[in-house]
Amino acid sequence: MAPLTRRTRGTSTVRRGRGRALTAAAAAAALVGLSACATAGGGGGGGGDDTDSPITIGISLPLTGDFSEPGKGVQRGYEAWAQIVNENGGLLGRQVELKILDDQSNADRVVADYEVLIAQDEVDLVFGPFSTRLVVPSARVAEEYGMLFVEPAGAAAEVFEQGFENLFYAAPAIAEDHYNYLAEQILAMPDGERPTTVAVASMDDPFAQGTAYGLRDKLEEGGLTIVADEVYPPNTTDFSPIAAKIADSGADVVIGGTQYQDAVNLIVALQQLNYQPQIAAFSTAPTNPEFSAAIGSRTEGILSPTGYTPDASWPSNVDFVEKYTEIHGNPPGEDEANAYTTGQVVAAAVEAVGCAEQGECQQQLIDWLRDNEVETVVGPLTWDETGKPQGAHLIQQYVDGQIEIVLPADAAEAELIFPKPAW
Amino acid sequence: MTGSLLLQSLILGVLLGGLYALLAAGLTLYFGVMRVVMIAHASFLVLAAYLAWYANTELGIDPLLTLVVTVPLFFGIGVFMQRLLITRLRPATLTMMSVLLTFAVALTIEGVIGFVWGGTQRRIQLPYSSASLEIFGARIAVVKLIAFGLAALSLLALYLLMKHTRFGQALRATIQHPEAAQLVGIRTDRVAGLGFGLGLATAALGGTALSLDATIYPSLHWHWIGPLMAIIVVGGLGSIPGAAIAALVLGVGQSLLQVPLGTTWAQTIFYVALFVTLMVRPQGFFGGRLAQRF
Repeated sequence: MAPLTRRTRGTSTVRRGRGRALTAAAAAAALVGLSACATAGGGGGGGGDDTDSPITIGISLPLTGDFSEPGKGVQRGYEAWAQIVNENGGLLGRQVELKILDDQSNADRVVADYEVLIAQDEVDLVFGPFSTRLVVPSARVAEEYGMLFVEPAGAAAEVFEQGFENLFYAAPAIAEDHYNYLAEQILAMPDGERPTTVAVASMDDPFAQGTAYGLRDKLEEGGLTIVADEVYPPNTTDFSPIAAKIADSGADVVIGGTQYQDAVNLIVALQQLNYQPQIAAFSTAPTNPEFSAAIGSRTEGILSPTGYTPDASWPSNVDFVEKYTEIHGNPPGEDEANAYTTGQVVAAAVEAVGCAEQGECQQQLIDWLRDNEVETVVGPLTWDETGKPQGAHLIQQYVDGQIEIVLPADAAEAELIFPKPAW
Repeated sequence: MTGSLLLQSLILGVLLGGLYALLAAGLTLYFGVMRVVMIAHASFLVLAAYLAWYANTELGIDPLLTLVVTVPLFFGIGVFMQRLLITRLRPATLTMMSVLLTFAVALTIEGVIGFVWGGTQRRIQLPYSSASLEIFGARIAVVKLIAFGLAALSLLALYLLMKHTRFGQALRATIQHPEAAQLVGIRTDRVAGLGFGLGLATAALGGTALSLDATIYPSLHWHWIGPLMAIIVVGGLGSIPGAAIAALVLGVGQSLLQVPLGTTWAQTIFYVALFVTLMVRPQGFFGGRLAQRF
């Protein structure tokens, strides 16, 4: 493996690297093809002309280590996808077979894993791992081999600033776009009714700031005035001075770029100051089950973006939730859904192009995804040239003590409450 | 800055300062009595807050009622800890070794809390959690007022105990001159144990006050110990009024600085104050000579 690893980290241009990789891959394919003939039904797969053997998909996941919890969620999603596809007759009439390796949440391991899967095991397709930290190095390996790389996790903007030409993020939106539906909704309000001032408080964290600043900037462009804009370090415990500044600004809209405890503390501090905004939007925390246990009944009208809900009425989602619940006894979460979405995206390209093997076919799959929309369990997805999804997150709101989807209109379970009732 | 925001920030600063004073009182006592740097003080605060939360969720009782159990319990743990662990340290290296010893205690408590209640962030949900009173256009949260009242009462009781009881006199004598205290018949080791217990009893009070209006999680104590150490150094080690004054000044300072500077910079006031104190007046601004007065 040593020469391969060296090549991935080398400074050769992508084109040259890919050329050499393809040569190596073709040579390896010939060898594997020969040995596959000898061992009938061997799991190697590989040969493009082979119409009966399964389509193999190589995946490396953090099944142990830091990201093992979400990693296992992604594994469940991938496996559910494979099982459902196979029950429905497979891809291009062939069964699919997953080959999953454990990278131990380690960026070096993930690189080696994808090298092995692509060059040695000759898988037909690859799916991405979990977390930005593992997605970026493994996408680079896939790109050198000219493989399509659809990934279920990597919402940070940096993933799309690497110049990848093979990467697609299988989720509705990156952090900056989480609030798009809410921004549209606010800006579409008639003049007298529309809120005019905005207060922002965000944790000093790229994800939290990404969500809050996405909404802030869109509202500012739309003519609203930013009257307070606070940043606090992650270890902040006392939120009353921040709340005092927001309350003093009297903003109509309050946006919290928050994780969990900061959202809870900030909301209670705002309530203690009897500040009553027309719109209160906080990322992440409101979807946490502990949230209403901490704040009690005074959550009415609080908004939050979310990437997935088992209750969404997209046709494939209804199926997915039913089958997944049958297999696991509980509905899928966001990690499972993103993995399933990855499978759906790749499958759509494979069915449309009519092939699934290394070589020429991969570029056709990439080109197809650039130009087409794919129906998934998180809604229809399209991508820009960097692989950034062009959608937005669903917007949820506490309505009568329950968290319900209120935007966009075609996915809504309840009416958006505006202005927010007093908390 | 508008006038109402100034008033609001001032009020919040005073309330915060009161809580800081209560949380720091125990720390200054340990150092005054025994030259012990008690890193685990903040983890005991978090433990008391967890006990209050647990009693509230499981039994539905008001967190303040848990004081009936936690204050004597923590007092006992304090005496026990001093008699069993602290006295075994050699006097020559006591201050330094106590940092290591209590650091280990802090890690143990954090681990136990995580093991028993998990790492999830918890918050006591009271019917009056977000209630507030209005004064001249500013708002005072009821829970913050209760915490402040608890702090004021405890500090007053502690002050009276130190000034006007035989035990207090013995403790002060032990602080000022252990050998002389022994010569006049004070059993300084026993007094030191009770002093440590008293310090930890304030942690029970402080933790309960904290639990009324904070989200708690096992590693929360690391966020508290730094500012609390800064307060007792600025206030003068061993001086309870010094700690109280420093806590109020720094609490109000932090709250007011937050308006023009933002949260990140306002937090540095503790470390700037610590630095200036060590440069200009190492014995502390309000306590006078090290641990000499109450």
